[in-house]
Amino acid sequence: MIRVKNLHKSFGSNEVLKGIDFEVDNGEVIAVLGSSGSGKTTMLRCMSFLEKADQGEITFDEFHHDMVTISRRDIHKMRMHMGFVFQSFNLFANQTALENVTTGLTVARKIPKPQAQETAHEMLKKVGMEDRALYYPAQLSGGQQQRVAIARAIAANPRVVFFDEPTSALDPELTGEVLDVMKKLADEGTTMVIVTHEMQFARDVADKVVFMDGGSIIEQNGAKEFFESPQQERTLQFLRRSSKDYNYYI
Amino acid sequence: MDGRIFNLLVESFPKMLVPCLKMTIPLTLISFGCSLVIALVLALVQVAEIPGLKQLARLYIWIFRGTPQIVQLYIIFYGLPSIGVMIDALPASIIALSLNAGAYNAETLRASIQAIPKGQTEAGYLTGLNFLQIMRKIVLPQASRIAFPQLFNSLISLVKTSSLASSVTVIEMFSVAKKIAGITFEPFILYCEAAVIYLMVCTILTLVQDVCEKRLNIAWS
Repeated sequence: MIRVKNLHKSFGSNEVLKGIDFEVDNGEVIAVLGSSGSGKTTMLRCMSFLEKADQGEITFDEFHHDMVTISRRDIHKMRMHMGFVFQSFNLFANQTALENVTTGLTVARKIPKPQAQETAHEMLKKVGMEDRALYYPAQLSGGQQQRVAIARAIAANPRVVFFDEPTSALDPELTGEVLDVMKKLADEGTTMVIVTHEMQFARDVADKVVFMDGGSIIEQNGAKEFFESPQQERTLQFLRRSSKDYNYYI
Repeated sequence: MDGRIFNLLVESFPKMLVPCLKMTIPLTLISFGCSLVIALVLALVQVAEIPGLKQLARLYIWIFRGTPQIVQLYIIFYGLPSIGVMIDALPASIIALSLNAGAYNAETLRASIQAIPKGQTEAGYLTGLNFLQIMRKIVLPQASRIAFPQLFNSLISLVKTSSLASSVTVIEMFSVAKKIAGITFEPFILYCEAAVIYLMVCTILTLVQDVCEKRLNIAWS
Protein backbone atom coordinates (compact mmCIF):
# COMPACT_ATOMS: atom_id res chain seq x y z
CA MET A 1 0.00 0.00 0.00
CA ILE A 2 2.77 2.43 0.97
CA ARG A 3 6.32 1.83 0.01
CA VAL A 4 9.10 4.29 0.69
CA LYS A 5 12.47 3.66 -0.90
CA ASN A 6 15.87 5.05 0.00
CA LEU A 7 14.60 8.00 2.03
CA HIS A 8 17.31 10.48 2.99
CA LYS A 9 16.94 13.63 5.05
CA SER A 10 19.46 15.98 6.64
CA PHE A 11 19.01 19.07 8.71
CA GLY A 12 22.10 21.09 7.93
CA SER A 13 25.05 18.77 8.45
CA ASN A 14 23.01 16.45 10.66
CA GLU A 15 21.95 13.42 8.64
CA VAL A 16 18.71 12.31 10.28
CA LEU A 17 17.57 9.64 7.83
CA LYS A 18 20.20 7.54 6.10
CA GLY A 19 18.34 5.68 3.40
CA ILE A 20 15.15 4.28 4.85
CA ASP A 21 13.14 1.53 3.14
CA PHE A 22 9.74 1.21 4.67
CA GLU A 23 6.58 -0.61 3.76
CA VAL A 24 3.03 -0.60 5.06
CA ASP A 25 0.40 -3.10 4.00
CA ASN A 26 -3.31 -2.51 3.97
CA GLY A 27 -4.85 -3.02 7.39
CA GLU A 28 -1.51 -3.25 9.10
CA VAL A 29 -0.69 -1.57 12.39
CA ILE A 30 2.98 -0.67 12.54
CA ALA A 31 4.71 0.62 15.64
CA VAL A 32 7.90 2.58 15.03
CA LEU A 33 10.17 2.45 18.06
CA GLY A 34 13.54 3.94 18.82
CA SER A 35 15.21 6.37 21.13
CA SER A 36 14.85 10.12 20.73
CA GLY A 37 16.74 11.45 17.75
CA SER A 38 16.65 8.16 15.89
CA GLY A 39 14.63 9.69 13.04
CA LYS A 40 11.19 8.17 13.70
CA THR A 41 9.28 11.42 13.65
CA THR A 42 11.24 12.77 10.70
CA MET A 43 10.39 9.65 8.73
CA LEU A 44 6.70 10.17 9.40
CA ARG A 45 6.93 13.87 8.53
CA CYS A 46 8.73 13.12 5.27
CA MET A 47 6.09 10.56 4.31
CA SER A 48 3.38 13.15 4.84
CA PHE A 49 5.52 15.88 3.20
CA LEU A 50 5.66 18.11 6.25
CA GLU A 51 9.40 17.87 5.68
CA LYS A 52 10.92 17.77 2.23
CA ALA A 53 13.08 14.68 1.75
CA ASP A 54 16.54 15.07 0.24
CA GLN A 55 16.16 11.83 -1.66
CA GLY A 56 13.63 9.03 -1.89
CA GLU A 57 10.64 7.60 -3.69
CA ILE A 58 7.17 6.92 -2.44
CA THR A 59 4.47 4.65 -3.74
CA PHE A 60 1.05 5.04 -2.20
CA ASP A 61 -1.49 2.82 -3.95
CA GLU A 62 -1.98 4.41 -7.39
CA PHE A 63 0.45 7.25 -6.66
CA HIS A 64 4.12 6.95 -7.41
CA HIS A 65 6.41 9.92 -6.94
CA ASP A 66 9.94 11.05 -6.40
CA MET A 67 9.82 12.65 -2.95
CA VAL A 68 12.08 15.54 -3.95
CA THR A 69 10.52 16.66 -7.22
CA ILE A 70 6.89 15.94 -6.29
CA SER A 71 4.58 18.87 -7.03
CA ARG A 72 2.41 20.64 -4.50
CA ARG A 73 -0.68 19.37 -6.29
CA ASP A 74 0.44 15.73 -6.10
CA ILE A 75 1.23 16.16 -2.42
CA HIS A 76 -2.28 17.49 -1.93
CA LYS A 77 -3.80 14.51 -3.76
CA MET A 78 -1.94 12.04 -1.56
CA ARG A 79 -2.73 13.90 1.64
CA MET A 80 -6.44 13.60 0.87
CA HIS A 81 -6.00 9.92 1.76
CA MET A 82 -3.82 10.38 4.82
CA GLY A 83 -4.68 11.18 8.41
CA PHE A 84 -2.14 12.58 10.82
CA VAL A 85 -2.22 12.80 14.60
CA PHE A 86 0.37 15.11 16.15
CA GLN A 87 2.18 14.90 19.44
CA SER A 88 0.90 18.37 20.34
CA PHE A 89 -2.67 17.77 19.02
CA ASN A 90 -2.65 20.92 16.88
CA LEU A 91 -6.39 21.42 16.99
CA PHE A 92 -7.65 24.58 15.30
CA ALA A 93 -7.98 26.87 18.32
CA ASN A 94 -10.74 29.01 16.81
CA GLN A 95 -13.02 26.07 16.09
CA THR A 96 -15.12 23.82 18.27
CA ALA A 97 -14.40 20.11 18.45
CA LEU A 98 -17.16 19.56 15.92
CA GLU A 99 -15.83 22.22 13.54
CA ASN A 100 -12.34 20.79 13.85
CA VAL A 101 -13.70 17.55 12.45
CA THR A 102 -16.01 19.04 9.80
CA THR A 103 -13.59 21.60 8.28
CA GLY A 104 -11.64 18.97 6.34
CA LEU A 105 -14.92 17.60 5.00
CA THR A 106 -16.75 20.81 4.10
CA VAL A 107 -13.86 23.04 3.06
CA ALA A 108 -11.37 20.60 1.55
CA ARG A 109 -13.76 17.97 0.22
CA LYS A 110 -16.85 20.08 -0.45
CA ILE A 111 -19.14 17.72 1.42
CA PRO A 112 -22.46 19.44 2.30
CA LYS A 113 -22.54 20.71 5.87
CA PRO A 114 -25.37 18.53 7.25
CA GLN A 115 -23.73 15.40 5.95
CA ALA A 116 -20.32 16.50 7.26
CA GLN A 117 -21.79 17.19 10.68
CA GLU A 118 -23.42 13.79 10.77
CA THR A 119 -20.06 12.19 9.98
CA ALA A 120 -18.33 14.38 12.54
CA HIS A 121 -20.78 13.44 15.29
CA GLU A 122 -20.22 9.80 14.43
CA MET A 123 -16.44 10.25 14.64
CA LEU A 124 -16.65 12.16 17.92
CA LYS A 125 -18.82 9.38 19.28
CA LYS A 126 -16.24 6.84 18.24
CA VAL A 127 -13.58 8.64 20.28
CA GLY A 128 -15.97 9.24 23.17
CA MET A 129 -16.19 12.99 22.71
CA GLU A 130 -19.72 13.49 21.40
CA ASP A 131 -20.77 15.30 24.57
CA ARG A 132 -17.97 17.82 24.05
CA ALA A 133 -18.78 18.58 20.41
CA LEU A 134 -19.34 22.28 21.02
CA TYR A 135 -16.32 22.85 23.26
CA TYR A 136 -13.30 24.77 22.09
CA PRO A 137 -9.86 23.14 22.33
CA ALA A 138 -8.88 25.43 25.21
CA GLN A 139 -11.80 24.00 27.21
CA LEU A 140 -10.62 20.40 26.81
CA SER A 141 -7.96 18.39 28.60
CA GLY A 142 -4.95 17.11 26.69
CA GLY A 143 -6.39 13.63 26.35
CA GLN A 144 -9.70 15.01 25.16
CA GLN A 145 -7.96 17.25 22.64
CA GLN A 146 -6.00 14.33 21.29
CA ARG A 147 -9.16 12.26 20.93
CA VAL A 148 -10.77 15.08 18.95
CA ALA A 149 -7.59 15.24 16.85
CA ILE A 150 -7.97 11.52 16.15
CA ALA A 151 -11.61 12.07 15.15
CA ARG A 152 -10.43 14.82 12.79
CA ALA A 153 -7.75 12.55 11.32
CA ILE A 154 -10.14 9.68 10.57
CA ALA A 155 -13.17 11.76 9.50
CA ALA A 156 -12.45 11.64 5.78
CA ASN A 157 -11.91 7.90 5.93
CA PRO A 158 -8.19 7.99 5.08
CA ARG A 159 -6.38 4.91 3.81
CA VAL A 160 -3.67 5.33 6.43
CA VAL A 161 -3.36 7.25 9.68
CA PHE A 162 0.03 8.39 10.96
CA PHE A 163 0.46 8.92 14.69
CA ASP A 164 3.45 10.96 15.82
CA GLU A 165 4.01 10.16 19.50
CA PRO A 166 0.32 10.72 20.21
CA THR A 167 0.62 10.27 23.97
CA SER A 168 3.99 11.87 24.67
CA ALA A 169 2.50 15.23 25.64
CA LEU A 170 -0.02 13.67 28.02
CA ASP A 171 0.33 12.83 31.65
CA PRO A 172 0.16 9.10 32.41
CA GLU A 173 -3.44 9.32 33.60
CA LEU A 174 -4.65 10.65 30.27
CA THR A 175 -2.54 8.35 28.13
CA GLY A 176 -4.89 5.44 28.59
CA GLU A 177 -7.95 7.10 27.09
CA VAL A 178 -6.06 7.93 23.91
CA LEU A 179 -4.50 4.47 23.62
CA ASP A 180 -7.94 2.91 24.08
CA VAL A 181 -9.26 4.85 21.12
CA MET A 182 -6.26 3.86 19.02
CA LYS A 183 -6.70 0.23 19.94
CA LYS A 184 -10.31 0.45 18.85
CA LEU A 185 -9.26 1.85 15.47
CA ALA A 186 -6.69 -0.90 15.08
CA ASP A 187 -9.32 -3.51 15.85
CA GLU A 188 -11.54 -2.02 13.15
CA GLY A 189 -8.82 -2.65 10.59
CA THR A 190 -7.49 0.91 10.22
CA THR A 191 -4.06 1.03 8.64
CA MET A 192 -1.87 2.81 11.16
CA VAL A 193 1.75 3.84 11.50
CA ILE A 194 2.45 4.78 15.09
CA VAL A 195 5.62 6.41 16.33
CA THR A 196 5.53 5.75 20.05
CA HIS A 197 7.37 5.15 23.28
CA GLU A 198 4.53 3.03 24.64
CA MET A 199 6.15 -0.41 24.60
CA GLN A 200 3.25 -2.27 26.09
CA PHE A 201 0.86 -0.74 23.60
CA ALA A 202 3.15 -1.61 20.68
CA ARG A 203 3.35 -5.14 21.93
CA ASP A 204 -0.40 -5.53 22.36
CA VAL A 205 -1.71 -3.69 19.33
CA ALA A 206 0.91 -3.58 16.58
CA ASP A 207 1.19 -6.26 13.91
CA LYS A 208 4.70 -5.23 13.09
CA VAL A 209 7.41 -3.31 14.90
CA VAL A 210 10.05 -1.22 13.19
CA PHE A 211 13.04 -0.28 15.30
CA MET A 212 15.10 2.74 14.30
CA ASP A 213 18.44 3.92 15.52
CA GLY A 214 20.75 6.66 14.24
CA GLY A 215 18.67 7.33 11.15
CA SER A 216 18.40 3.74 9.95
CA ILE A 217 15.96 0.91 10.44
CA ILE A 218 17.90 -1.60 12.51
CA GLU A 219 15.31 -4.30 12.77
CA GLN A 220 11.71 -4.99 11.80
CA ASN A 221 9.64 -7.96 12.67
CA GLY A 222 6.25 -9.16 13.82
CA ALA A 223 5.43 -7.61 17.18
CA LYS A 224 5.60 -10.88 19.09
CA GLU A 225 8.91 -11.90 17.52
CA PHE A 226 10.35 -8.45 17.96
CA PHE A 227 9.79 -8.37 21.68
CA GLU A 228 10.45 -12.03 22.40
CA SER A 229 13.46 -12.65 20.24
CA PRO A 230 15.16 -9.48 19.09
CA GLN A 231 17.86 -10.21 16.54
CA GLN A 232 20.16 -7.23 16.96
CA GLU A 233 22.31 -6.33 19.91
CA ARG A 234 21.15 -2.67 19.71
CA THR A 235 17.51 -3.74 19.84
CA LEU A 236 18.10 -5.86 22.86
CA GLN A 237 19.86 -3.02 24.60
CA PHE A 238 16.93 -0.67 23.79
CA LEU A 239 14.34 -3.14 25.02
CA ARG A 240 16.20 -3.73 28.24
CA ARG A 241 16.42 -0.04 28.93
CA SER A 242 12.81 0.67 28.08
CA SER A 243 11.29 -2.33 29.73
CA LYS A 244 9.31 -1.73 32.87
CA ASP A 245 11.16 -4.31 34.92
CA TYR A 246 14.52 -2.90 34.00
CA ASN A 247 16.37 -2.36 37.25
CA TYR A 248 18.25 0.79 37.71
CA TYR A 249 20.33 2.03 40.54
CA ILE A 250 20.21 5.51 41.97
CA MET B 1 -13.89 84.26 29.71
CA ASP B 2 -13.92 87.02 27.15
CA GLY B 3 -17.29 86.99 25.41
CA ARG B 4 -15.76 87.38 21.97
CA ILE B 5 -13.58 84.32 22.37
CA PHE B 6 -16.51 82.32 23.72
CA ASN B 7 -18.58 83.31 20.71
CA LEU B 8 -15.71 82.41 18.41
CA LEU B 9 -15.42 78.97 19.96
CA VAL B 10 -19.14 78.36 19.68
CA GLU B 11 -19.41 79.66 16.15
CA SER B 12 -16.42 77.83 14.79
CA PHE B 13 -17.28 74.51 16.42
CA PRO B 14 -19.93 73.44 13.88
CA LYS B 15 -17.79 74.85 11.08
CA MET B 16 -15.06 72.39 12.07
CA LEU B 17 -17.29 69.54 13.10
CA VAL B 18 -18.99 69.38 9.71
CA PRO B 19 -15.76 68.86 7.71
CA CYS B 20 -14.68 66.45 10.43
CA LEU B 21 -17.76 64.32 9.89
CA LYS B 22 -17.91 64.82 6.14
CA MET B 23 -14.22 64.58 5.31
CA THR B 24 -11.78 63.68 8.09
CA ILE B 25 -13.67 60.60 9.29
CA PRO B 26 -14.63 59.20 5.86
CA LEU B 27 -11.09 59.89 4.58
CA THR B 28 -9.69 58.02 7.57
CA LEU B 29 -12.05 55.07 7.32
CA ILE B 30 -11.71 54.63 3.56
CA SER B 31 -7.91 54.88 3.75
CA PHE B 32 -7.85 52.44 6.64
CA GLY B 33 -10.03 49.97 4.74
CA CYS B 34 -7.77 50.16 1.69
CA SER B 35 -4.68 49.86 3.88
CA LEU B 36 -6.03 46.62 5.37
CA VAL B 37 -6.47 45.12 1.90
CA ILE B 38 -2.92 46.15 0.98
CA ALA B 39 -1.61 44.84 4.30
CA LEU B 40 -3.37 41.49 3.91
CA VAL B 41 -1.92 40.92 0.46
CA LEU B 42 1.58 41.98 1.57
CA ALA B 43 1.43 39.80 4.67
CA LEU B 44 0.13 36.70 2.86
CA VAL B 45 2.68 37.03 0.09
CA GLN B 46 5.41 37.03 2.72
CA VAL B 47 3.98 34.19 4.79
CA ALA B 48 3.45 32.06 1.67
CA GLU B 49 7.07 32.78 0.74
CA ILE B 50 6.22 33.33 -2.91
CA PRO B 51 9.58 33.96 -4.58
CA GLY B 52 9.83 37.40 -6.17
CA LEU B 53 6.60 38.68 -4.67
CA LYS B 54 7.98 38.31 -1.17
CA GLN B 55 11.00 40.47 -2.03
CA LEU B 56 8.70 42.96 -3.73
CA ALA B 57 6.63 43.19 -0.53
CA ARG B 58 9.75 43.81 1.54
CA LEU B 59 10.83 46.53 -0.89
CA TYR B 60 7.41 48.19 -0.66
CA ILE B 61 7.45 48.14 3.13
CA TRP B 62 11.01 49.40 3.21
CA ILE B 63 10.16 52.39 1.03
CA PHE B 64 6.90 53.37 2.70
CA ARG B 65 8.17 53.01 6.23
CA GLY B 66 11.41 54.76 5.39
CA THR B 67 10.08 57.96 3.85
CA PRO B 68 7.92 60.68 5.44
CA GLN B 69 4.20 60.48 4.87
CA ILE B 70 4.05 64.08 3.69
CA VAL B 71 6.78 63.48 1.10
CA GLN B 72 4.81 60.50 -0.24
CA LEU B 73 1.70 62.65 -0.44
CA TYR B 74 3.53 65.44 -2.23
CA ILE B 75 5.05 63.02 -4.73
CA ILE B 76 1.61 61.63 -5.54
CA PHE B 77 -0.23 64.95 -5.73
CA TYR B 78 2.41 67.46 -6.87
CA GLY B 79 5.01 65.13 -8.38
CA LEU B 80 3.08 62.70 -10.54
CA PRO B 81 1.43 65.38 -12.75
CA SER B 82 4.88 66.26 -14.11
CA ILE B 83 5.10 62.76 -15.57
CA GLY B 84 1.56 63.00 -16.86
CA VAL B 85 -0.39 61.37 -14.00
CA MET B 86 -3.01 63.76 -12.65
CA ILE B 87 -4.82 62.67 -9.50
CA ASP B 88 -7.35 64.85 -7.70
CA ALA B 89 -6.55 65.98 -4.19
CA LEU B 90 -8.92 63.63 -2.38
CA PRO B 91 -8.04 60.41 -4.23
CA ALA B 92 -4.36 61.38 -3.97
CA SER B 93 -4.75 61.70 -0.20
CA ILE B 94 -6.58 58.39 0.06
CA ILE B 95 -3.88 56.68 -2.00
CA ALA B 96 -1.04 58.19 0.03
CA LEU B 97 -2.63 57.40 3.40
CA SER B 98 -3.58 53.85 2.32
CA LEU B 99 -0.18 52.99 0.90
CA ASN B 100 1.61 54.25 3.99
CA ALA B 101 -0.68 52.67 6.58
CA GLY B 102 -0.70 49.51 4.44
CA ALA B 103 3.04 49.10 4.94
CA TYR B 104 2.75 49.34 8.73
CA ASN B 105 -0.37 47.18 8.96
CA ALA B 106 1.32 44.55 6.77
CA GLU B 107 4.01 44.15 9.41
CA THR B 108 1.39 43.91 12.15
CA LEU B 109 -0.51 41.22 10.26
CA ARG B 110 2.60 39.28 9.31
CA ALA B 111 3.79 39.16 12.91
CA SER B 112 0.32 38.11 14.09
CA ILE B 113 0.08 35.34 11.50
CA GLN B 114 3.49 34.10 12.50
CA ALA B 115 2.40 34.06 16.13
CA ILE B 116 -0.15 31.31 15.42
CA PRO B 117 1.46 27.93 16.20
CA LYS B 118 2.78 26.34 13.03
CA GLY B 119 1.28 23.02 14.02
CA GLN B 120 -2.19 24.28 13.19
CA THR B 121 -1.08 25.05 9.64
CA GLU B 122 0.49 21.60 9.36
CA ALA B 123 -2.70 20.03 10.65
CA GLY B 124 -4.62 22.10 8.12
CA TYR B 125 -2.56 20.76 5.25
CA LEU B 126 -3.02 17.20 6.45
CA THR B 127 -6.74 17.75 6.78
CA GLY B 128 -6.66 18.44 3.04
CA LEU B 129 -6.88 22.23 3.11
CA ASN B 130 -4.79 24.42 0.82
CA PHE B 131 -2.86 27.53 1.88
CA LEU B 132 -5.64 30.04 1.34
CA GLN B 133 -8.24 27.83 3.04
CA ILE B 134 -5.93 27.45 6.05
CA MET B 135 -5.45 31.20 6.20
CA ARG B 136 -9.13 31.99 5.84
CA LYS B 137 -10.57 29.37 8.18
CA ILE B 138 -7.87 28.90 10.79
CA VAL B 139 -4.98 31.33 10.89
CA LEU B 140 -6.50 34.71 10.04
CA PRO B 141 -9.41 34.48 12.51
CA GLN B 142 -6.83 33.93 15.26
CA ALA B 143 -4.22 36.34 13.90
CA SER B 144 -6.70 39.17 13.48
CA ARG B 145 -7.45 38.95 17.17
CA ILE B 146 -3.78 39.34 18.03
CA ALA B 147 -3.42 42.12 15.48
CA PHE B 148 -6.52 43.96 16.66
CA PRO B 149 -5.00 46.36 19.25
CA GLN B 150 -2.12 47.25 16.95
CA LEU B 151 -4.42 47.76 13.96
CA PHE B 152 -6.61 49.97 16.07
CA ASN B 153 -3.53 51.95 16.98
CA SER B 154 -2.95 52.43 13.30
CA LEU B 155 -6.54 53.60 12.82
CA ILE B 156 -6.27 56.17 15.60
CA SER B 157 -2.99 57.36 14.19
CA LEU B 158 -4.62 57.69 10.77
CA VAL B 159 -7.31 60.03 12.16
CA LYS B 160 -4.57 62.49 12.92
CA THR B 161 -2.40 61.85 9.89
CA SER B 162 -5.40 62.60 7.68
CA SER B 163 -4.83 66.28 8.54
CA LEU B 164 -1.91 66.16 6.09
CA ALA B 165 -4.52 66.16 3.34
CA SER B 166 -5.02 69.84 4.11
CA SER B 167 -1.60 70.44 2.56
CA VAL B 168 -2.82 69.21 -0.81
CA THR B 169 -5.98 71.38 -0.87
CA VAL B 170 -8.43 68.86 0.61
CA ILE B 171 -11.01 70.70 2.70
CA GLU B 172 -10.97 68.68 5.90
CA MET B 173 -11.20 69.73 9.52
CA PHE B 174 -7.70 71.08 9.98
CA SER B 175 -7.76 73.13 6.78
CA VAL B 176 -10.98 74.77 8.02
CA ALA B 177 -9.31 75.51 11.37
CA LYS B 178 -6.39 77.10 9.54
CA LYS B 179 -8.76 79.21 7.47
CA ILE B 180 -10.75 80.50 10.45
CA ALA B 181 -7.55 81.14 12.39
CA GLY B 182 -6.29 83.20 9.50
CA ILE B 183 -9.42 85.31 9.31
CA THR B 184 -9.88 85.87 13.04
CA PHE B 185 -6.21 86.12 14.04
CA GLU B 186 -6.88 83.66 16.87
CA PRO B 187 -4.61 80.71 16.03
CA PHE B 188 -4.20 79.61 19.64
CA ILE B 189 -7.95 79.30 20.24
CA LEU B 190 -8.76 77.72 16.91
CA TYR B 191 -5.95 75.16 16.88
CA CYS B 192 -6.76 74.18 20.45
CA GLU B 193 -10.35 73.70 19.44
CA ALA B 194 -9.29 71.55 16.49
CA ALA B 195 -7.11 69.52 18.83
CA VAL B 196 -10.08 68.97 21.15
CA ILE B 197 -12.23 67.69 18.29
CA TYR B 198 -9.47 65.27 17.21
CA LEU B 199 -9.23 64.17 20.82
CA MET B 200 -12.99 63.57 20.95
CA VAL B 201 -12.89 61.41 17.82
CA CYS B 202 -9.98 59.38 19.16
CA THR B 203 -11.65 59.01 22.56
CA ILE B 204 -14.72 57.54 20.90
CA LEU B 205 -12.50 55.17 18.93
CA THR B 206 -10.71 54.11 22.10
CA LEU B 207 -14.04 53.28 23.71
CA VAL B 208 -15.01 51.26 20.64
CA GLN B 209 -11.70 49.42 20.91
CA ASP B 210 -12.34 48.53 24.55
CA VAL B 211 -15.77 47.11 23.76
CA CYS B 212 -14.45 45.13 20.80
CA GLU B 213 -11.53 43.70 22.74
CA LYS B 214 -13.77 42.56 25.55
CA ARG B 215 -15.98 40.75 23.03
CA LEU B 216 -13.01 39.21 21.27
CA ASN B 217 -11.65 37.88 24.53
CA ILE B 218 -14.81 35.92 25.27
CA ALA B 219 -14.68 33.68 22.21
CA TRP B 220 -12.99 30.28 21.98
CA SER B 221 -12.21 29.74 25.63
